[in-house]
Amino acid sequence: MVVGSVSRGCQVVVIGGGPGGYVAAIRLAQLGKDVIVVEKRGRMGGVCLNEGCIPSKALIHATDVAYEAGHAQEMGVTVEGVSVDLAKMVQWKDGIVDRLTGGVSFLFEKNGVEVVAGEARFIDDRRLAVSTDDGVVELEFEQAVIATGSSPMALPGFDVDGETVIGPREALSLQEIPERLLVIGAGYIGLELGTVFRKLGSQVSVVEFLPEIFPTMDSEVGKLLKRSLKKLGIKVHLSHQAQSLEAGSPTVVLAAHRDKDQTLRLEADKVLISIGRVPNASGLGLEAIGVGLDDKGFVAVNEKMQTNIPGIYAIGDVVGGALLAHKASQEAKVAAEVICGQNAAFDSLVPAVVYTDPEIATVGMSETEAREAGHEVVTGKFTFKASGRAMSLGATDGFIKAIANAETGLLLGLVAVGRGVSELIGEATVALEMGAFLEDIALTIHPHPTMSEAVQEAVEAALGKAVHQVNN
Amino acid sequence: MAFVFNFPDVGEGIHEGTVVEWLVAEGDIVAEDQPLLKVETDKAIVELPSPKAGTVLKMHFAAGDLIHVGDALIVIGEAGESVADSGEAQTAQVEESESVMAPPAPDAGRPVAPGMGEKHRRPLATPKTRVLARTLGVDLSGVIGTGSGGRITDDDVERASRGEVASAPSPELPVSVDGIANVTVTADGPVERVALTHLRKVIAGAMQSSKQISAHVTHVEEADASALMVAYRDLKPQIEAEHGVKFSVLPFFIKALVQCLKDFPIFNASVDEDAGELILKKYYNIGIAVDTPQGLIVPVIKDADTKDMIQLARELSDLAVRARERRLALDEMRGGSCTITNIGPLGGVFATPIINQPELAILGLHKIEQRPVVRDGQIVIREMMYLSISFDHRWIDGAQGARFMTAFSRLISNPNLLFARL
Repeated sequence: MVVGSVSRGCQVVVIGGGPGGYVAAIRLAQLGKDVIVVEKRGRMGGVCLNEGCIPSKALIHATDVAYEAGHAQEMGVTVEGVSVDLAKMVQWKDGIVDRLTGGVSFLFEKNGVEVVAGEARFIDDRRLAVSTDDGVVELEFEQAVIATGSSPMALPGFDVDGETVIGPREALSLQEIPERLLVIGAGYIGLELGTVFRKLGSQVSVVEFLPEIFPTMDSEVGKLLKRSLKKLGIKVHLSHQAQSLEAGSPTVVLAAHRDKDQTLRLEADKVLISIGRVPNASGLGLEAIGVGLDDKGFVAVNEKMQTNIPGIYAIGDVVGGALLAHKASQEAKVAAEVICGQNAAFDSLVPAVVYTDPEIATVGMSETEAREAGHEVVTGKFTFKASGRAMSLGATDGFIKAIANAETGLLLGLVAVGRGVSELIGEATVALEMGAFLEDIALTIHPHPTMSEAVQEAVEAALGKAVHQVNN
Repeated sequence: MAFVFNFPDVGEGIHEGTVVEWLVAEGDIVAEDQPLLKVETDKAIVELPSPKAGTVLKMHFAAGDLIHVGDALIVIGEAGESVADSGEAQTAQVEESESVMAPPAPDAGRPVAPGMGEKHRRPLATPKTRVLARTLGVDLSGVIGTGSGGRITDDDVERASRGEVASAPSPELPVSVDGIANVTVTADGPVERVALTHLRKVIAGAMQSSKQISAHVTHVEEADASALMVAYRDLKPQIEAEHGVKFSVLPFFIKALVQCLKDFPIFNASVDEDAGELILKKYYNIGIAVDTPQGLIVPVIKDADTKDMIQLARELSDLAVRARERRLALDEMRGGSCTITNIGPLGGVFATPIINQPELAILGLHKIEQRPVVRDGQIVIREMMYLSISFDHRWIDGAQGARFMTAFSRLISNPNLLFARL
């Protein structure tokens, strides 16, 4: 025992209060466990609520309101003098974050979940040392759930100083719109934030090491997005590697082409680093208790979210896979139920949403994955250019593509690009989980006029009987 | 008016089957007697012919679905005719389907992968059903879904957990589907649960009921097959060269059996207990037990008395091949009057076979091997074999069994006596 520490016991300790950890804690409490959550951040909700999903979506929407107002002349709407007060926008966003994180604390209270604020470190496989403001608290537990999440990956030579070189967290709290924003990394975070600042008036350029945007998604997605980014005025430099940074006014970033002998000199006021995320698996004392990691440093778990050490579970970003809040929350419920003796296992499909303009949403297999899995594949596509609802929204960019087994008609995946398609992917996920065949969706009425009609049309196209487009 | 074709009673007490494959698709024009689908029943995979000519308006059930006698399988009518127009089609079965006006399912004629059980494919089951499977310890990859499009239902999972449901046909027991072992650990150690095939359950039922019905007794005799083997070795290359048929020693035994059955008609009989009568069969249909990967199947050689050994050889190899491929018609497994089980090639001294009901006897042939025997006070090497017969002692006395086998052994040991009667 650490000298001067306080020792306490609980049944389950959850390390991290993000969308994995807080959900695990609540579910465990619902199932009758005595739960303590250790959170170093001071408030609940993790990256998702504090500096990820929620705040970025608030800014994206607020920005869209301003942007749409200024781009509606074609609809007969001319708005003079739209002005954006970024500081106020950020304040509004912070209010949302406060409400949500407060909501988690409220749920904790109502479910009897206790929080210890501090940094956790395993002493052994039944004890945790938590460094709090009031000293070290030692927690004895029967089971532990590691839900420590992930952090932005650092780029050597581009140390985040919070001023010129920033990460996603700083980008969400800028008080002024930068004149020139350079985004390094064309992942979903970089592109979402790049789009926000472009719409707010920044000159935005993006440097991406890979030759394609979203290379793992359906190839049509990357192509369409590239066009949309260009239309918005975002310059994307693919196949370029950011090499060095000269701070100054302006700051200059040198980016070299991967294959050609060609180096770009990019001027910026702010440089946003968004090249990926790394698991928060170090500093927890995992080595001390022998928890195994995979080759990328993520905690290795089975489908019951169990690590190799009995009683130690891990969920969310720290175990890898899709680094998405909803995946973490589902894994949290699995871990909690397994701890409580239920026969749970993670066997769910994980939909993914990117809030670019237009939005991208996918679930299940891509066409390529389906072929690789041995399926005879049939696809059906419906483009929003032929959708009445899309026209009435002035948002005809995008499409829905259904991927199915050609022999049986079993739906295998769905790719959606377009305005508001983030809200459509839940339907496709239910369909996939329920084992829907193309016929099932084709025979389901989708209300008119909505963007969701495109799902039905895409599926009908796969069956060779689309009504609002010419069948192949 | 559309005609609804129900799964007919194909006889032999068969009341259910599994759709193997549709041979037509909705919209197809079919002729009378054209095969519509293949159904796996207790004993075989049978093709069901269309009783009417017309256009296929609607098909029920997909490959892998369990069907019962009386279930509506297909609606045949005139092109363009709506299924709903048909009074007959307004049956419960039709209403069960998602929509009678539904356009044809895509590629309805092609089989649905059972449960989508391949390793890389998710089982076709809802999240709720998947939870149930985990709770009951059922590996969904081995369960055939009976739901729409092969979906695995809660019922399927519960049946599988009780070991009742047919899993996807496995190439060889006890390997489970796709080689994924459904191993669970019990207090005594790991066990693998493999769902029983339909055929296996049918065999089990038949064996048990035969043992309960008949008073089995087995009589064992030996024969000196030396002379027979000389004749066989002489004939085999000639017959195979001239007739292009694989010639085994089995036709000799079939012929010998037929002769003995003629001499001892009670061994070619069955009993009608209700009528209090012995049914002496005037035909000689010899069942041949065939070992297939799925289990025992007994095709029947009809009128073996009228066929020569070359015809018998040809029929034997054809029936054996098709039995292993499950391509025998039900008719080819019916109507036997006596059965031979040839266990010799698999080893053993002798066995006690179980009678194939409603027959009264079954002959076991055992391996032919060189053994020292005494002839004229000298020990000599002869090609010897054991012969066993199980018969129903209720109707056949032990003395009759002994006489029968003495006669049979004589024909084998002195094949010229057999040839003289051919």
